[in-house]
Amino acid sequence: MQDKIVITGIGVLSSIGIGKDAFWQALQEGKSGVKPVTLFDTSKLKVKMGAEISDFNPGAILGEKGLRNLDRATKLLLCAGKLALDDAKLEITEENSTSFGISIGTTLGSLWSISEFDKSALRDGPHFVNPAEFPNTVINSPPSQLAIRLKSKGPCATISSGFTSSLDAIKYGIDLIRNKRAQIVLGGGVEEFCEQTYLGFYKVNFLAGVKGPELNCPFDQRRNGIIFGEGSAILVLESEESAKKRGANIYARILGFGTYFYPYAINKYEPQGYGLKKAMRLALDDASVAPFEVDYISAAANSTRDADIIETGAVKDLWGAKAGKVAISATKSMLGETFSASGVLAAVATTGSIQKGFIPATLNYKEKDSSCDLDYVANSARKAKINKALVNAFGPSGSNSCMVIGE
Amino acid sequence: MSRRVAVTGLGVVSSIGIGKDEFWKNLIQGKTGISKVESFNPAPYGRSFGGEVKNFDPLKFMLNREVKRTGRASQLAIAAAELTLTDAKIESSMLDPDKSAVLIGTTMGETSVFEIVNKAWFEKGLEEVEPFMVGRTTANLLSVNLGIHLKIGGINLVIPTACAAGNYAIGYGYDLIKEGRVDFAICGGADAFSRIAFTGFARLYAMSPDICQPFDKNRKGMLVGEGAAILILEPLEKAKERGATIYAEILGYGLSCDASHMTIPSEDGITRCMQNALKETGVSPEEVNYISAHGTGTVQNDLNECAAIKNVLGEATKKVAASSIKSMLGHCMGAASGIEAISCCLAVSEDIMPPTINYQTPDPDCDIDCVPNEARRAKVNIALNNAYAFGGNNSCVVFKKYAG
Repeated sequence: MQDKIVITGIGVLSSIGIGKDAFWQALQEGKSGVKPVTLFDTSKLKVKMGAEISDFNPGAILGEKGLRNLDRATKLLLCAGKLALDDAKLEITEENSTSFGISIGTTLGSLWSISEFDKSALRDGPHFVNPAEFPNTVINSPPSQLAIRLKSKGPCATISSGFTSSLDAIKYGIDLIRNKRAQIVLGGGVEEFCEQTYLGFYKVNFLAGVKGPELNCPFDQRRNGIIFGEGSAILVLESEESAKKRGANIYARILGFGTYFYPYAINKYEPQGYGLKKAMRLALDDASVAPFEVDYISAAANSTRDADIIETGAVKDLWGAKAGKVAISATKSMLGETFSASGVLAAVATTGSIQKGFIPATLNYKEKDSSCDLDYVANSARKAKINKALVNAFGPSGSNSCMVIGE
Repeated sequence: MSRRVAVTGLGVVSSIGIGKDEFWKNLIQGKTGISKVESFNPAPYGRSFGGEVKNFDPLKFMLNREVKRTGRASQLAIAAAELTLTDAKIESSMLDPDKSAVLIGTTMGETSVFEIVNKAWFEKGLEEVEPFMVGRTTANLLSVNLGIHLKIGGINLVIPTACAAGNYAIGYGYDLIKEGRVDFAICGGADAFSRIAFTGFARLYAMSPDICQPFDKNRKGMLVGEGAAILILEPLEKAKERGATIYAEILGYGLSCDASHMTIPSEDGITRCMQNALKETGVSPEEVNYISAHGTGTVQNDLNECAAIKNVLGEATKKVAASSIKSMLGHCMGAASGIEAISCCLAVSEDIMPPTINYQTPDPDCDIDCVPNEARRAKVNIALNNAYAFGGNNSCVVFKKYAG
């Protein structure tokens, strides 16, 4: 990556903390966001757990005005945007509004709204739907509402690529800056916790607890599926030059990015992990970083059997005999699988690692799996100086993305 | 690296034709694709017309087992991609996965499957919903299904920026080719006819009871349509080397966000978007010959679009033609700007401007030359493709005639 893009602001809402300081603190302490689901009834289901943001009070962050008619995903994203701009000490004004861009990854962010809108039409008849709720049914609704809220008048983009959405959105945002379509970009992602999404993952047998104990334990022998979670995070991205000019605090630098789709099958992991290896290699090449220079890998491992083996295999493939030396951990052991938001949450976590000098733990690691035998930073965080780190995101339908972040 | 970007393949599935030749022939004849809605019973909506693609047989483009595991939007996209590859004389084996991108814009994603799932869930309960159906509902599957069908790896994204999505996908494809990151971009938009979109537009009173009449004083609103359009973009030099047909060159594009209202387009936002497009491409207002207008046929859209065109082109507005092919197709959501991009490519390569049909009564507030009712033979060197969206996500792509 020729132009130097830096992170100068962070806004994050997660099941383990709201705001970057609380989030980083919780990661360091190894706090888990997984608890019994409260947002809807699970009594008739085999599964009961989720990683909800239980203390979410959008009014406290945004003020009470203008929130009526907005769905949860949108409110989560608006809060992340507000926190990120405040953190970056930025204000969007009439004069600078066109220099801001927005690029957000979400795939199911509008699912609840789409479903409820349609159900209302099916139940009461099409004349009785609430017209104010129709705009929430488009997938680009949360990012567009963010633009409206902030009066951000540059490009506003939405990316849907499933598990890799928010990393892909960050890359799209970086391209907006490099192609001079925007000077500062709010890049990130959002996914909300709702019955439709939860039951959807349940129905396709993706949740832990359907075929084994309801545990969130990446790389552990007992793993049998994901615990679904929610979250929203936004990074303020700009060129190093722009950041220095305005005297911004720089948290980290984005050194490289790689993405590789491997055509295989819908909702099935390709067992060789060809696409993930390729994405990691592309990212390292883009960053001009050799594998041995990487201090930490923020894994996409989500406690499904196949994904964690594939990721372990990819690290072994790239690191060879040194694979055992690199620290790998799965923040999803604390945050659950937040789908489209997972990439940016991992990026925020890794920025915390660089800033605070720690590697977050992989929680609930107890029983070793012979095919997952690397250093997963089991159960408690580790002090370490992180100069360069890799953030992985990948999913079963073939999408793989990887970002290199550095000091 | 900065490379020139050529459009070398056009594939379209629309209510007035499948494949670019049939589409273009009907487009310049001013044929309408609007008919009575058949995919569901429209009676309770008080509106009954739309732009469904009625003679689409997915089995002509894919295997039966693929048809079973994909929704209609994916099928439309796959068909359009097959058509565009044939048109460009490209075998999928020519597509180096390290140098290819599949980029699909959409509004509603895989809505036909979702609507079946949601209805079954609501009416019969979750137990009655087929798990494999649930797994087929997400929007990201449009590009995934296309990638799997063509066995193309590489960059693969869905850009769901609502009704400007096709343009966003084409624009990003342009960026990737220009920078040398890929040598082939397979990009465009797809949307299936949607009960949910129909419900929403009917309820917003934005939908016409019969015909779509962009820029007409008595225009009564938009109509929902469906379709898919996929373009192939290549570096101009490489396209020349392989002897490809070059329909048009893409000079660049402009984006903006209204940041004002989710559903009402703003004159300011559209103006800035077109200005950005001209600024990036170095095209002056006097050089613009043709605009494929967003032209939905709603009072607000057409008013704001005409005002924006005048803001941007000034005096040169008098010499420019701006027609809306939505008068024939209805609004094909995320596919719309992809289909309109194909129309722009053919306009610059053939020197023909497609008409705005159903134009009867001039509106003094929309006093632009909308190529009323009949296609026009005229030199088209530069064409702009305007597309706006819910959320105020505006886009404008600039096409130029390729003279060899």
